Parts: sequence; C-alpha cells; structure tokens
Amino acid sequence: MKKSLLVLLGMMMILWLAACSGDGGSEEASSDDNASEETADNGDSEGAESGDEEVTLRIAWWGSQPRHDYTLEVIKMYEEQHPNVTIEPEYASWDDYWQKLAPQAAANELPDIVQMDLSYLSQYAENNQLADLSPFIGSNIDDTNISQNAIDGGKVGDGVYGFNLGVNALSFHYNPEIMSELGYDEFPEEWTWEEYQEISQKAVDAGYYFDNGLKADVFFNYYLRQNGKRLYAEDGSGLGYEDDQLFVDFFKMVQEQVESEATPTPDFLAQLAGPEDDPVVKGEGVGIFQWSNQFVGLEDISESSFEFAPTPGPNVDQGLFLKPSMFFSVSENSEQKEAAADFLNFFINDVEANKLILGDRGVPVSSEVKDALLSEVSEAQAKVFEYVAWAEENSTAMGAPDPAGAGEVIELIDGLQEQIAYGEISPEDAATQFRTQAESILGN
Amino acid sequence: MQTNMKQNLWGYLFIGPFVIGFLAFTIIPIVASFYFSFTSYDLFNSPRWIGLQNFKEMFTADPRYLHSLKITFIYVFAGVPLRLLFALIVAMLLNTASRAVGLYRTLYYLPSLIGGSVAVAIMWRNIFGDEGVVNIALMSIGIDPVRWFGDPTAALWMLIFLSIWQFGSSMLIFLAGLKSIPQSYYEAASVDGASFFQKFFSITIPMLSPVILFNAVMQTIGAFMTFVPAFIISKGTGGPLDGTLLYSLYLFKQGFEFFHMGYASAMAWVMLVIIAILTSIIFMTSRFWVHYESEGGK
Repeated sequence: MKKSLLVLLGMMMILWLAACSGDGGSEEASSDDNASEETADNGDSEGAESGDEEVTLRIAWWGSQPRHDYTLEVIKMYEEQHPNVTIEPEYASWDDYWQKLAPQAAANELPDIVQMDLSYLSQYAENNQLADLSPFIGSNIDDTNISQNAIDGGKVGDGVYGFNLGVNALSFHYNPEIMSELGYDEFPEEWTWEEYQEISQKAVDAGYYFDNGLKADVFFNYYLRQNGKRLYAEDGSGLGYEDDQLFVDFFKMVQEQVESEATPTPDFLAQLAGPEDDPVVKGEGVGIFQWSNQFVGLEDISESSFEFAPTPGPNVDQGLFLKPSMFFSVSENSEQKEAAADFLNFFINDVEANKLILGDRGVPVSSEVKDALLSEVSEAQAKVFEYVAWAEENSTAMGAPDPAGAGEVIELIDGLQEQIAYGEISPEDAATQFRTQAESILGN
Repeated sequence: MQTNMKQNLWGYLFIGPFVIGFLAFTIIPIVASFYFSFTSYDLFNSPRWIGLQNFKEMFTADPRYLHSLKITFIYVFAGVPLRLLFALIVAMLLNTASRAVGLYRTLYYLPSLIGGSVAVAIMWRNIFGDEGVVNIALMSIGIDPVRWFGDPTAALWMLIFLSIWQFGSSMLIFLAGLKSIPQSYYEAASVDGASFFQKFFSITIPMLSPVILFNAVMQTIGAFMTFVPAFIISKGTGGPLDGTLLYSLYLFKQGFEFFHMGYASAMAWVMLVIIAILTSIIFMTSRFWVHYESEGGK
C-alpha cells in the first residue's frame, strides 16, 4: 500500500515538475502574449473594416518616464487631428521591451509601429518581421527636408526597414568647474587617448574620478574605427578587425583607468542604486562618455551644468559617426501599413509634435523641424544640436547596421570587460576569448 | 442511467475549464518544448532539427552554463536546509500558547505572501545597498561594510538570505505538523524526566518527519526554479561576474535575449531531470528517517 502510494506520488510530482519547468522560461512571455493578443484582437476586428473609417494602430516604444509622457501627448495630438484613428500605446523599459517584443514577433503579433534600435534592426528585418518602408517614402512620408544619408541609416540590404527618428553622436560631457580646478580653463580642442590618461591622473590627484567607464561595445568600436577598422565585418559574418593587439591596447587602457582609480571599480558601480548616485552626477567626477541625446537627462538629474567635448583622438573624424538614435519600424504583419506610415510622417515632420518631443529621440532628421526647434529648445538641448551639427562635419559614414546576434556579442564583450576590471582575466586572454566566441555567435 | 449521464455531463462541464487550460498551457507547451530541445530555434524561423547538439553544447562548450549550474546548486543546498531550519525554529516558537501568537503567525507569514514579488526584490536592493540597513548593522559591530552587489559571492549569499527570509509557507506546514503531535507523548516523557533536547529528538523530529520530507521536496523544487529575485537584484544581468546567474535566469536569457529557444528548452529538460533525480534521492533516503505513525511506525 505504502509503496504504490509513493510511486503514484512520485509520478504526480514528476508530471507537475515538467509543467513547472516548462513554464520556467515562458511564464513571463505568455502573460505578455496574452495582453498583446487582447489588444491585437481589438486592432484586427476594427482594422478589418479599414479604409478611411476606424483605424486602430498599436505602437510600442522603450524609454523612461519623460519619454512615455510626451509620446502619449503626441499620440493624443494625432488622434485629435485624425478622429478616425485610435492609437494603443505599449511601452516599457529597455530590458523589458526586447523581452516582450521577441515572443510577439514569434507569434506574428508585433504592434503596427515598433521602435527599433540599431543593434536589433538587422535581426528583425532579416527575419521578415519588418516592412520595407521605401514605397511610403516620398508619398506618405514626406522626405523633402530629410537628407538621403539620414534615411539610409535604416537600410538593411536594399530596403529601408526603420525610419530614423534622430541622430546621435558619441561625446564627452564634462563638468567645467572641475576641469578648471584641474587647471584647464578650456577643454583641449583636440585631445588624444594619452592626454585622456594624463588628465585622468590629474583628476585622481585632485580627489576626483575622471569618468565612469567606457561602455565596451560602443567605445571599442569607436577605437577600432579610429584605426580604420570596425567591430563587425561589413557583411556581419564575423568581426571587422584581424589584429587582436587593438583589443589588448584598448582594454589595457580601460584596466589602467580602473587601477589608477580614475574610473570607479566595478563593484562600486554595481552598488549604485540609480543614475542619481553616479559620481559624476554628484559632482565627484569630471564627466561621462555617452551619446549626445543623453546630455539633457544628465543635466536634469545633476545640480551641476555640463559642457560638450568630442571624444579623444587621433582620427576623431574617422571614429565618430552619426548614429540613428532609434527608428520607428512598421511591422510586416500590420494590416494598416499606410496608416502607420502616416503616423510616422506626423512624428517626423510635424513641428508642433516635435515641440513636445524636443529632440529626446536624437536631433531631428528634418531640417525644417530642426530650424523650428532651435528657438524652442532649452539651453542644454541647444548644446546637443550644436554638437551634433559639429559632428556632422567631423565624422564618417556609419556603415552597415549591426548584424543579427549583435545583442549577444554586446553581452559577451561587456562581460569580458567586467572580468578585466575585476582582474579575473588579462586583456590578452580576453582578446582571444572574444574572438572565438564572437565569431561563433556571428557565424551562426 | 439517464440521471447518470446527466450527472457525468455536469462533471465534465465543471472540469472542462481546468482540462482545457491544462492542455493548452501545460501539456502542449511541455510537448513543444521537448521537441524544441532537439532543434535550433530562434523564434522567427521554423525550428531546425539538430538532434542532441544542444545537450552536447551545454556540457562541453558552454562554461557559462556550467557556472550557472554550480551557482544554482550552491543556492539550493545552502538555502533550503537553512530555510527549513529557520522555519522549524519559528514554528516551534509559535507553537507555544502565548497570547499574541495569532498576530505573530501572520507577521511571520507575510514575507512569503509577498515572497517572489518584484517589490521585495527592489526593497532588498535598498536594504543591502552601500548605506543600507545591513551594512549599518555590520559597521556598528565593527565589521567592514560588504559590497553586496559588487562582490559575486556576496551577491549570491544575499539571494540566499532572501530565500531564507521567505520561510513562511514551510513554517505554517511545520506548525500544523507540530499541532498534530499528541501532547500526551510529551507529558509521558516529562514524567520519565526527559530534557528538552531529548523530547525534541525523540518525539518532535520523528513525529514531524513526514512533514519535513514534504517540505524538503517542495522547497528544493521551488529553489531550483527561482527566477524573480535574481532577475531583479542583478537588473536582469545575473551579475556581478555572473555571480547571481541562477539556472532559470540563464535559461530565460538564452530563450528571450539571445533567441536560442531550442537551447533554452533543452536546458529546461535538463533541469527537469536534475530535479527528478534529486527528488527521488530524497524519497529513497526517506525510508531511513521518515516515520509513519499509521503503519506501525514504519
């Protein structure tokens, strides 16, 4: 009796377990799925009537609260002007966004309009999740004030799979008060990586951090470009550099910065609760290396004011490129691509709408909007515009978008940088590991 | 016969929602994940059959996988016994007939109610921050503050503490078990002059052993599948240095960040096998230490 009961219990347990472990990965996704299915159903039932009548569009983006707020206002403005259009927003933070988008894509349930990042554009476009926007450009989407260069930023193969919402450039945002304490009345107009380390040392001597680190995938790519290479091969099938010495040189420098305490140690950085605790924000560090559209947010949370400087040279113009900060793409499964394109046009070209957006998604691509905003924007935003205009003159073409699998490569290189900073691995070993593993990810 | 049919119909009707849900959300996903585990599947393109490749890669070519397995074992084998011990101690304290005992039971159970929630994990981040309660307490007794989020080992222990703190549900089950031990046994032991520890080891533990078995099995299974705290505390990265990369977190990353759904499914099935083996080991050893009143003490 006891034995058979045990066997029965055991079997039940295993069945139940199978259920649980099956859930393990998909739990989150399925709940998200359900939510999106509901909205999708609404969309379909109304969309089926189509035409000039009732249109329901789903739109998804990532961002922080201020972006959610103004995007909702832009949507409201659009709905007021187009009473037949209802827009259902779905927004999330960066991490949640991509985890939600993947299962939606697998189920062919992508929202009609999805905000896209350069590092995912190829992946989604190559898997036929996104619609080619070329037929709409010039008709639904007015491109009279937009340069071909800006549009080409969203090109994958022969099609335009994402419409550029604005441009960004890498930059150094520094605190001029601390710089003058270090004995620099003006930031050196051209500075090199050697000078970067010299100034860093001065900062350390004066009791400051210099920066809070160089994000591995972004700045290693910049460093490679300075040397005439790129992180990814043009066709995306592997790495774009052959000489591992470049990797070693760059990450040795990163390591030395941590050792000299010009950059905080990784365990210190991990302990920070949020961007408000950042040493640079609290006036304990000189500056931050980041994208130009992050400047305004930096000034917002800090009591200090900041200035722009270009990234260290030599060959700044080879290293720098104008990056589409983000795209709006129209999903292939959308049944109202034209209506979606109309909304994109509004978002990109409408001056009133852009007075709400105020360049948060990068410096607007439309010259008309840009000119109209110049008188509207805050002092901080004006600095961003000015820097990007400078960068436009002093940069080279971006090249092909990141290959599919870039997300995984970025995680790999960030992990290796962390190990280097913790002293767990030498830059030489990291270089070899990065090459083997990245090639195998990209080769797949 | 007629009424019988009608009765059955009602039965099927009532059980229907569960059966449909069970099929759609449990059985079919299980079968699908079993199939995917033998494929290379990126969620977008149709799965491609690759046989045992996923399983082979896991154990031979993926150091991160082995690392996450190791971390998970530490988490389970350090966390579960401590949690059970803690639950048992509190259950025994609450088993005394003191006045506000109802209130205490509720209070101690609360952490488990809000257990795996995001809010708790976020609160945990504050408690263990540089200037959090834990570090203040450590400093007040003269110990250097610990970088809980910066040191990989410390971060894992922080997760283990979090799991110990959520001992409520096993505590309630222990409490029910303790209540069912006849008071007369203790009285008889007292008459014979038994000490507290003699009573504890000769009466409480044997009488409670079926409950201990149940709790041990359930908690082990639960611990293996821990996901939310690791995800929130490390902000989804499993860091620092993969120190909190629990198995299910890595599985999630593979499936939904790297789009290796086939690999993730294979991982899920390996976890199933590991849990099944551990559970059977616990069951097999149970005949040496679990005591069933109803079968003449066997």
